[in-house]
Amino acid sequence: MSKAWQTPRVDSASSTLDVGIGAGGLATADMVLNIGPQHPATHGVLRLRLVVDGEKIVSAEPVVGYMHRGAEKLFEVRDYRQIIVLANRHDWLSAFANELGVVLATEQLLGMEVPERAVWIRTLLAELNRVLSHLMFLGSYPLELGALTPVFYAFREREELQSVLEELSGGRLHYMFNRVGGLKQDVPAGWTLRTLDAIKAVRRRMPDLENLLTDNEIVKARTVDVGVLSRDLAAAYGVSGPIARASGLDVDLRRDEPYLAYGELFAPGGPGRVPVRKHGDCYDRLVVLIEQVRVSLDLAEACVEKLRSLPAGPVNVRLPKVLKVPEGHVYRWTENPLGLNGYYLVSRGDKVPWRLKLRSASFNNVQVLTRMLPGQLMSDMVSIMGSMFFVVGDVDK
Amino acid sequence: MSTTDLGMPGIGPLQSAAPYPLRLVLNWGRRYSLWVFNFGLACCAIEFIAASTSRHDFIRLGVIPFAHGPRQADLMIVSGTVTDKMAPAVRRLYAQMAEPKYVISFGACSNSGGPYWDSYCVTKGVDQIIPVDVYVPGCPPRPESLLQAIVKLQEKIAGENLGRRYRRSGGTPVSAAAATRPLVAPDGDGGPSSRSTSRRARRVVSEAAVPRRQTTSVLPSAPPPAAPVQAMTLRPHTPQTAEDTVVDMPAPVPPNAGPETKEGPR
Amino acid sequence: MEQRPAVPGDTGETERRDKSGFGLGMVKGLATTARTFFRPTHTQEYPDVKPHLPPRNRGVIALVEENCTVCMLCSRECPDWCIYIDSHKETLPATTEGGRERQRNVLDRYAIDFSLCMYCGICVEVCPFDALHWSPEFEYAEFDVRDLVHERDRLHQWSASVLPPPPPDPAAPPPKEIAAAEKAAAKAAAAASAQGGPTDKPGEGRTK
Repeated sequence: MSKAWQTPRVDSASSTLDVGIGAGGLATADMVLNIGPQHPATHGVLRLRLVVDGEKIVSAEPVVGYMHRGAEKLFEVRDYRQIIVLANRHDWLSAFANELGVVLATEQLLGMEVPERAVWIRTLLAELNRVLSHLMFLGSYPLELGALTPVFYAFREREELQSVLEELSGGRLHYMFNRVGGLKQDVPAGWTLRTLDAIKAVRRRMPDLENLLTDNEIVKARTVDVGVLSRDLAAAYGVSGPIARASGLDVDLRRDEPYLAYGELFAPGGPGRVPVRKHGDCYDRLVVLIEQVRVSLDLAEACVEKLRSLPAGPVNVRLPKVLKVPEGHVYRWTENPLGLNGYYLVSRGDKVPWRLKLRSASFNNVQVLTRMLPGQLMSDMVSIMGSMFFVVGDVDK
Repeated sequence: MSTTDLGMPGIGPLQSAAPYPLRLVLNWGRRYSLWVFNFGLACCAIEFIAASTSRHDFIRLGVIPFAHGPRQADLMIVSGTVTDKMAPAVRRLYAQMAEPKYVISFGACSNSGGPYWDSYCVTKGVDQIIPVDVYVPGCPPRPESLLQAIVKLQEKIAGENLGRRYRRSGGTPVSAAAATRPLVAPDGDGGPSSRSTSRRARRVVSEAAVPRRQTTSVLPSAPPPAAPVQAMTLRPHTPQTAEDTVVDMPAPVPPNAGPETKEGPR
Repeated sequence: MEQRPAVPGDTGETERRDKSGFGLGMVKGLATTARTFFRPTHTQEYPDVKPHLPPRNRGVIALVEENCTVCMLCSRECPDWCIYIDSHKETLPATTEGGRERQRNVLDRYAIDFSLCMYCGICVEVCPFDALHWSPEFEYAEFDVRDLVHERDRLHQWSASVLPPPPPDPAAPPPKEIAAAEKAAAKAAAAASAQGGPTDKPGEGRTK
């Protein structure tokens, strides 16, 4: 593991560096420890610069930028179909949700109405993608805690859903299936039935995954009351998504500012629910994630049922040969699996955007580590970092 | 940032002088016990993890994940975009691996920069900084592609001669200070810079030159542009054969040594 | 925002967080793994068992050269600019007496650089002449990155493995060609019946 051990620096908080054999008292000095950028626990290339006093963390600074690919600059030379296929790569676990935000922003600037079939298929795919993203974290977080088995269970469920999405779009991870005005193609025959089967199979096997996690004493010992994120701190730092909801910050755009078909799904009596917890520790974050998987599976099933009952109709809108978006700017945000992702699109009437700025949820979620980690032990650091559910591409774009 | 001189890769004299039957056995052992250094950077890492879980399971092929560190790893699978900020870390970790070591470049971003090749902060392919044995195309490639690449690598190891792979002839080691250089400005006409470090002419573009990069002309094909001088690159591999990858690095050629003939793709 | 109540049905919250179990949670986990131990594995042993790939799977792009008119739309729309096309114009002599000479684009070089390709499918989608198709082949890892540039002949070879597209969902609108053909047939029938005399109405010759 590449930890660079730097010269200890004397912190004024600790005692003076008075080392000598037989010197009275225990001389200590804080140590600067780099976790990452390549480290099995950092979920990618996030570097954490910690100042530790023995086992206790004195301060923490996430150093980001190791995955900065300049996507926003690349958007400025690609047209409105090409930015979709590029934009879905910054949060690579929920690629569909990223594309969705981009097309929703573009459609809002164009004032375009999307056909109903497309709206429901988009909602369905967004929810399936949410399940995929959460399953990934449900597999990798226990892996960091030392539980090696759940990752295999989680990835088995992922394979089940990925095969359904692959049949539809051709890709397992990057679907690139949205287009401005709808979707690229319609669904194959029989796909809706296979999707239902996949959802049912995943739902049937979720208890296996939960049995390994939620009641396990070791998991509880490592996550209950560890890494508490208070609600006010979460609100101050703009933390969003399942992490914020685990701290009691009850914001979910699907219910509060519905887009796509969420208005109907989250209406009272619908299958939509928002799991919220109040303790804000790692255990709550894990539990919220499991609950969200269940909710998303219900939502996906409702979408499929609705889709099967819809009359025949188109799934996209006929676009001009060269799509030019009128001048203007719009900020559109969506409830991505990791949190609130915002897309600020500025157009000057060209066929490429003038500026497409991404507000990514993981950026804020990672910033709050500077406040959460000090005072914790080193061994809890991995537990806390894993529970923050971030994707480094989302942090760095 | 200070530079560190990293040692040249090499193996001991016994390995280099091993007779063929012994080499056969050693190659067999080496190819079926590859410890892989999880170098997951971006989206391709997810497919790498999927290849290690139960549906695809590369442990069946002898590749064991979760090596305890670069020192104990044989195989480095670079999966994901290598940014310029991350590149020194990649180089350093590659140097920390003990020989013999192999690299699989997994995915478009580590093959050549991929979708981000025209970005200002992306290394256009991890083979710019470390030698790669197998390239897996895809964005992201299927886990089965990774399995196929591992099988291909195993076939390559079966036929290899470590002495030839790590021989020291043909060049002096390059010091780290010589390996760093300031940014190069493109030529005035927008053509490929003569001081480019990229192996292929088309990779160096300024932003303004991006739309006119391609030779999509209706005129009879113009002669290919003069290749950039191959400074600080690895010796080119012979295409299409499972010959040994030669790992030594030639001395830097002075920038204005004149154009070489461009080796077109096949 | 006021606090909404927790998810209904999760009444055991406080007990769940209680760390002092008797090890029953771990026993539950062990029982799960023991149960899974006796179930058959779902490993697909790759080199011996090939994966089942759907028709739309994005493995490699195949070029049907006969259809290509060198319009260069694919090359222009590619987000990575990874399609390299060279061509030249040829003039064909007039086919009839006093006719016009025709110009034709002749493809010299068509290459796709799969080391750059992001497999988005925009080229396949945009080609007006169906010269590009997706093929589910994925076994083309190379030792040298320059071999990842597939030239014309290699791209043509992939077209043998292109799968036919899946049948569309019944609720999907029919493909453009079928809709256009039906419209033309209906118009012809209307014109024929308008001209005089009852004629047979053309039946629905096409199923969805």
